[in-house]
Amino acid sequence: MGHGRCYSLAPQMLTSDDEGYVTIRGGDPIDVPDDLQELARDVEGTCPESAISLIDE
Amino acid sequence: MESSVIAERHGTEVTGCPVMHHDFSKTREMGAYWTLANELRETCPHFYNKYAEGGYWVFTRHDAVNDIYKTPEIFSSASITPWEPDPIYRFVPTQVDAPDHIKYRRILNPWFSPKAMEAAAPMIRETCRGFIEPIVPKGECDFYEAFALRFPTAAFLTVIGVPITYTDVFVGWVDAFFGGFGGDPEGAAGMATALGEMRVFWKEQLDDRRREGHREGDLFSYLLDAKFDDEPLDDDVLLDMCTVLTLAGLDTTRAELAYMFHHLAQHPEHRQRLVEDPEIIPLAVEETLRYYTIIFGDGRKVTRDVEFHGVQLKKGDMVYGLVSGANRDPRHWEQADEFVIDRKRNNHFGFASGPHRCLGMHLARREMAIAVDEWLKVIPNFELATDAQLFERGGGAMMSLSTLPLRWDVRS
Repeated sequence: MGHGRCYSLAPQMLTSDDEGYVTIRGGDPIDVPDDLQELARDVEGTCPESAISLIDE
Repeated sequence: MESSVIAERHGTEVTGCPVMHHDFSKTREMGAYWTLANELRETCPHFYNKYAEGGYWVFTRHDAVNDIYKTPEIFSSASITPWEPDPIYRFVPTQVDAPDHIKYRRILNPWFSPKAMEAAAPMIRETCRGFIEPIVPKGECDFYEAFALRFPTAAFLTVIGVPITYTDVFVGWVDAFFGGFGGDPEGAAGMATALGEMRVFWKEQLDDRRREGHREGDLFSYLLDAKFDDEPLDDDVLLDMCTVLTLAGLDTTRAELAYMFHHLAQHPEHRQRLVEDPEIIPLAVEETLRYYTIIFGDGRKVTRDVEFHGVQLKKGDMVYGLVSGANRDPRHWEQADEFVIDRKRNNHFGFASGPHRCLGMHLARREMAIAVDEWLKVIPNFELATDAQLFERGGGAMMSLSTLPLRWDVRS
């Protein structure tokens, strides 16, 4: 299982499977809308496994 | 701080690394272990801690602790206590490495997943209220004795399917086990007795399910059906697993709850904030796990010769990642030494990291959040009921207060 920090912080973008691993809603990767950019940065910074990266394009 | 410089070790020249002689098991004044971790981290990124029979490398900063956790192929969990590199016990799955480790975890993960805990939350909340209600009219309690262990124990029993009438029995076992953890010979006998009695209890439960049939919502029935490489788990492993779940989950949650309530007793502005905005209680729980982390350090055993953060490690060496140092390392954290109640970018190691990250974390943080929420609903204001110095156990691994007297005004 994962720590669950990301999907508890941003349930509108992320959810979890039955074992507690993260899945991204709507694909992998997803485009983060402008109004969720700040939240996405929080999500990136909250993962103790450094498993989430935001890619600037 | 006693220190000298190692000139030579295993024939390898090592420069600038002090040797220290710290005892991380003794009881100290509350907060002293985090102060010590801060000092060690700012004094040196790593040092060799020597004791009578041996020694081990301590890495004090966030980057190295992170790398230890993220490189399990070099840093084995065969021993997680650096002062005991060849333990006679083997906790499953705590001390199991790849490839078997993940097979055990995949058996246990669904039982303790966020979804499973979400489903259990109403029962956990009900249990919590059952402990708080009789305390409220008293106007005071020893939080540590009256609530901090009893509630997580009852919640845990609910989750694994054991009647909560066994709460006092489990509280006794957990207390007896940790009474022997510090090495006191009198405590050691109690520890062995508790371990023995626990195993008898698990065996009875398993035999009962075999005889009487399986039950819904019952961890024993689930484990009896579980397969490891297409084979059922043998009884020794089953008993080990149940024992580890109990020892890893109850005393730890008690310790974190006590530090959190100590903080809230001392910080009325934070209580107020949580009363007004209960949505941030989960963030306050995470900050507690960072700032008041009870893992002083986490041990691993080196699997091959390797240079690591400027230290030449040898196969068989023990290392100790100073988690409490990493969790307050200003190289990693903004406002590292402040309790930021709504901190969001909080990738703390309070539940460790890497493949051995805490199995019970979703249960533990939910218990903590529910405890704070329910407590503040009926006791929004409370304070320490003593001016006496509080002390914390070192235990070599997990810090814990031994008492927490609280008092509050009783509404008539």
